[in-house]
Amino acid sequence: MGAARLRLLLLIGPAAAILCLLSVYPLARLLVLSFTDSDHGLAGARFVGLENYAELAASRSFRVSARNTVWFTVMATASEVLAGLGLALLFDRAFPGRRALTLALVAPFVLSTVVVSAVWRAWFHYDIGFLNVALRSIGLPGVPWLFDPDLALGSIVLVDLWQNAPFCFLILAAGLRAIPPEVTEAARIDGAGAWRRFRDITLPLLAPYLFIAALMRSLDSFKLFDKVYAMTGGGPGNATETLSMHVHRLAFRYFEIGLASAAAIVMIVVAALLAGLYARALLKEGAR
Amino acid sequence: MRARLAGAFAVAALSVLPIVWMAATALKPPGEYVSGSTALWPRAPTLMHLEALAAARVWRLGLNSLVVTLGTTLVALAASLPAAYALARLSFPRRLDMAFLVFILVVKLTPPIVLAVPLYQVLRGLGLLDTLGGLILAYQIYALPFAIWMLLGFVRDVPVAYEDAARIDGAGTARILLDIVFPVMAPGIAATAILVAVAAWNEFLFAFLFMQSPSGFTLPTAIATRINEDETLWGQLSALGLLASLPILCLVGIVHRALTRGFAGGLA
Repeated sequence: MGAARLRLLLLIGPAAAILCLLSVYPLARLLVLSFTDSDHGLAGARFVGLENYAELAASRSFRVSARNTVWFTVMATASEVLAGLGLALLFDRAFPGRRALTLALVAPFVLSTVVVSAVWRAWFHYDIGFLNVALRSIGLPGVPWLFDPDLALGSIVLVDLWQNAPFCFLILAAGLRAIPPEVTEAARIDGAGAWRRFRDITLPLLAPYLFIAALMRSLDSFKLFDKVYAMTGGGPGNATETLSMHVHRLAFRYFEIGLASAAAIVMIVVAALLAGLYARALLKEGAR
Repeated sequence: MRARLAGAFAVAALSVLPIVWMAATALKPPGEYVSGSTALWPRAPTLMHLEALAAARVWRLGLNSLVVTLGTTLVALAASLPAAYALARLSFPRRLDMAFLVFILVVKLTPPIVLAVPLYQVLRGLGLLDTLGGLILAYQIYALPFAIWMLLGFVRDVPVAYEDAARIDGAGTARILLDIVFPVMAPGIAATAILVAVAAWNEFLFAFLFMQSPSGFTLPTAIATRINEDETLWGQLSALGLLASLPILCLVGIVHRALTRGFAGGLA
């Protein structure tokens, strides 16, 4: 081995070794486990072919958790990118106290999701939660935020919006700063109104940033676990069960390691498809 | 202008309201927070919840969190700095550098729960289950891809001329890294370290799955187990949440700057 190769190996070796130990090997193991009836490790597990995948395809609870995950991902991503865009536009002009208010906006994003869930679970309490007490004090009826199966996942979207819209705000604010002021100024001189300037100049120039924000948020929403675990445990019924919760339940409650591994493999494939879709859209955007 | 200011104030207030509520509830006697009033500030502030936490020796869990956070950050920097330098500057045979970057992206988008099952077995095999060292190792799965990706941009910003000059003076790679490249990109390294540390401090899933004895819990795990114990034990819960949040909230200005730097450096 030449000196250059050796240097390369020394520099990248530790990171590569750790990542292989933590991802390549576990993923390979996961794939093997997904074809077995394992309830523990690989020892003593029987090869069952595609049985686990067939069982998942027929499983109602798996379908429900997949549907919940997709619904949550779409709703959370869309609302957060829109809110982030609104905030970025609102904070784009200089005003006194802008820095302090920006920090106030960013605060929820840097907190632990478990802390966030603890606070909002208390806020959502039907009888004495802050939200319902506030609603009743202005004469409105209380809302069964987490008790109603039709509302519970939406309530979790609300919490996610509060916590993660700031992330989209930061990305889109960076995007707005990257637009040269001369461009919008020229359009203003040409007589373009605020809406036309936004539609024909700001929005197209911001498109790559909107893409990135949507990509990062949807990949993250797709993993949703902490909030559900801490706020509803997947209930009521399985109204807020997500794929991550489902895999966790199969593996660490029912010890159906084989079935859980198959579900995990399905999750990776979906995440990869999602990323691939975005990558294609990004490439197209870049080619234009 | 006035409307903009009012709007900005309103959203900022909405943004911090739950955090203020948490801080206030941590100081309220139970009678106040179950009374069904929207009054934010405690009428008769009390330290009873903080004292209860002190009596339960919660500072030990804080210490666990701190050890894991510092350990994760140090290991991640030690492994990712040389790797990022190599990826940015050295030529790899057969485009292996591109392959490595794609691999990192794949790791980044893999849902953690997916890796949890086999990682659990790996840690058990290594005898690292239920140890802080094992958790630090497991956190590299989040920390390394993120750190390498973020540092890559900062290495690229270091002028190559500096390195060439040192090389002509006979400096080896280690010298060049330690004396020139790392000091020049120090702000970028600090930003990366901050973001890795915040993520490790806040992490829940792996801590919850891999640390099983209560003495090894980190703060997020302690909070999650308490949430389910008593539905309205909000005073202690808020006090614990406040303890877990204060260090980060104190640093929010630095974290914000690190995030902005990260987005400018091509993190997104």
